[in-house]
Amino acid sequence: MKPRHATPLAAAALLVALPSGLPDFWLFIAVQVLAFALYAVSFNVLLGYGGMLSFGHAAFFGTGGYTAALVLKQPGLAPALVLAGLLPAAMIVSGAAALVIGFFSVRRAGIYFAMLTFAFQMLLYTLALKATPLTGGDDGLTGLKPPGLIASPLAYYYFTLAVVGAGLYVLHRVVRSPFGYTLRALRANALRVQYLGVDVRAHRLAAFAVSGAFAGLAGAIFALSSGNVFPSWLDWTASATPVVMAVLGGTASFLGPALGAAVYVVLEVVISGRTEYWPLAMGVVIMALVLLMPAGLTGVWRKGG
Amino acid sequence: MHNPVAVARQTLAGISSGMLLFLISAGLSLIFGVLRILNFAHGALFMFGALIALSVAALIPDATTGFAAALAAAAAGVGVLGAAIETGLLRRIYRAPHEMQLLLTFALVFVLGDAAKLLWGRDEHSAAMPAALAGSAHAAGLSFPLYRLFLIAAGAAVAAGLWLMLHRTRWGMFVRAATMDREMLSALGVDTRTLFTTVFALGAALAGLGGALAAPIVAVGPGLHVQVLIDAFAVVVIGGLGSVPGAFLASLFVGLVNAFGVLAFPGLAVVLTFACMALVLIVRPRGLMGAAE
Amino acid sequence: MSAAILRVEALVKRFGGLTALDGVDLTVETGEFHAIIGPNGAGKSTFFNTLTGLLPPDSGRIAFAGRDITGEPPHHVARRGVARTFQITSVFGNLSTLENVQVALLAHARRSWSMWRRARGLRAERAQELLGLVGLAGSAEQPAGTLAHGDQKRLELAIALAGEPRLLLLDEPTAGMAAQERLESIRLVHRIAAGMGLSCVFTEHDMAVVFAVATRITVMHQGRVLAEGTPAEVRARPDVQQVYLGEPA
Repeated sequence: MKPRHATPLAAAALLVALPSGLPDFWLFIAVQVLAFALYAVSFNVLLGYGGMLSFGHAAFFGTGGYTAALVLKQPGLAPALVLAGLLPAAMIVSGAAALVIGFFSVRRAGIYFAMLTFAFQMLLYTLALKATPLTGGDDGLTGLKPPGLIASPLAYYYFTLAVVGAGLYVLHRVVRSPFGYTLRALRANALRVQYLGVDVRAHRLAAFAVSGAFAGLAGAIFALSSGNVFPSWLDWTASATPVVMAVLGGTASFLGPALGAAVYVVLEVVISGRTEYWPLAMGVVIMALVLLMPAGLTGVWRKGG
Repeated sequence: MHNPVAVARQTLAGISSGMLLFLISAGLSLIFGVLRILNFAHGALFMFGALIALSVAALIPDATTGFAAALAAAAAGVGVLGAAIETGLLRRIYRAPHEMQLLLTFALVFVLGDAAKLLWGRDEHSAAMPAALAGSAHAAGLSFPLYRLFLIAAGAAVAAGLWLMLHRTRWGMFVRAATMDREMLSALGVDTRTLFTTVFALGAALAGLGGALAAPIVAVGPGLHVQVLIDAFAVVVIGGLGSVPGAFLASLFVGLVNAFGVLAFPGLAVVLTFACMALVLIVRPRGLMGAAE
Repeated sequence: MSAAILRVEALVKRFGGLTALDGVDLTVETGEFHAIIGPNGAGKSTFFNTLTGLLPPDSGRIAFAGRDITGEPPHHVARRGVARTFQITSVFGNLSTLENVQVALLAHARRSWSMWRRARGLRAERAQELLGLVGLAGSAEQPAGTLAHGDQKRLELAIALAGEPRLLLLDEPTAGMAAQERLESIRLVHRIAAGMGLSCVFTEHDMAVVFAVATRITVMHQGRVLAEGTPAEVRARPDVQQVYLGEPA
């Protein structure tokens, strides 16, 4: 077994064995970690691989969550249909949203790209907040339960593990593919890539759409697990979450953001359990991260040997 | 509702809220123009100004003196806070990748937001309005709050003062040059470190002043910094990142759009702001008066 | 009879009040090794940028291999068979040397959209071949960002060749090199180009380099073509000599 495979395999084994004896609350947290890991890794396809910093990625996480909720609340659908269609629906809708938003956003680079994605996220946030008949408005959509087969926390945990595992596998193949190489080249020198005969805008758009679709998948998983989805999933502070997770874990590796997600979720749970000043603590952690450990946890680990 | 009096009132309302917006956006735009940093914490600085003003005014029995002192204290206090933030934190990340800069100012939002809660509690307050500015003015069948007229005057005064600073002082010349070309500035031997600190401090002071001016008419509490920031972002995009005159025009524009939008599409006025922001970025990213790419 | 591979007619490019290209004409025959010389600010880089579609021309016509490519974007121009290197070295620093060439080969083969296959070994043989051609055979695994300046220039050449171009545009290919390295470098390019039947247009400041390999020279000055012809013809012209008075050799 190659050394670099050892850690992910060990982690995978741990994840499979994890649930034995765990109380439901921690199973719920574990599901959140997995969902957010997928969210962070998909975000990093854009940032770490493509060099594109999106300020509006929560738009897709939220869209996925809302889509899943709406499908679930459709009366008269056979449970099997719901189960089969829920996640694909979330991916398709978020992916489509990403195609539309991306179409306009990738025409710009750098800070303008970032601000465009931000503006679109805020537009979607307003939609979530105001389109009450569809989205429940301020109250969001609540009372979501995963369909019968995967309703129990344990079953849902394994379901999530399978889906997230598959999702990560697909993303892994994408970043190791010729498309992934092209994306990495884009990050280094987009101008040069044009001169290779590559339509840079189209490739960036594709990366944006793929990333958005998987963020939507993560949102759907989390919505089912937490039982609800709210407009706050799309408000402007939510746009920082994937960035924090990715940078915390380290954007230079594929799974770095997943580690960042795990640390982020656990920190949030632990700290907000003890104090209402969770944002303050988070702010301090982020500052420390940026000033002292910009390569993230995996960066530090690598240097240490 | 094509009643000319109503239209006039909405116009004045739009202009006065535009002036408040200008106070925040001018600083945000300058900071971006010179430091190339998008300061997410700018709304929090606005909020701190409002809170400082509340506290100072509460200490002074005479409402008018209290008000004046509150304005001064807010501007100075937040200015100092800004200087501290720049020298202590921002200075270290000027060469860092964009995501690091984004995260740092975001982190500031969280820290300042909670700091405000810790220092001032979680309730909402409004400052008392100084007697001289309370009440309404009447003209041509239209009555309009005196305070809002005062805001318009104050905003115009600040705009004029800023213009003078930018166009008639050496400092201002460096600031304008920095907006165009940062590298050249240090090549010319300008002390960019001090320049950056003063720019950030000034931007912060303006935001603080804006907060103090807003205190009598908005509910000052947690969450204030969020609403305000979104509008400010839209303004700096529409006006052009780095352009103060652009921020002025765009503030008036957004203020008016909000004032009339609220009447025309009650729930969706805020959508208009974002739609304008997106449109500008798609069609002409440098906004009204920003520097060309 | 050789056909013109590149024909530029009356190319104009303005930036606000500044006219960077003021009606430039240029014809390059197949197989030529054509140098463009001129003082800084003569418009050489703007010329390349406009030629390859990075900047839209204000007026004029550009024909490549008989086809009008005026105003086409860079990725279209590249696909037609025009490759370019840059004055400021443009390699993909975050990829290995081999991967740099692989990316170029995959892009040329229209495989940049492939999202499922492992890219690791794809086109590796051909990439290694190209590296060998430019003298970088041993550096395949090295991150391109850590290569020495001269080696990065070689890599740029390999990347350009990966696209199977018919015309090579080299923007200051020897910039930043010591005098001896410059001659070796341009001779390498000349050998490769001749071996592959490529036409080449390059900009250059160093006259020793130019006269060592160029088959034709165009002299640009203030956005216009001052003179054009064989090295001997151009060297003899008094107006060219005047422009270059004091110009370092």
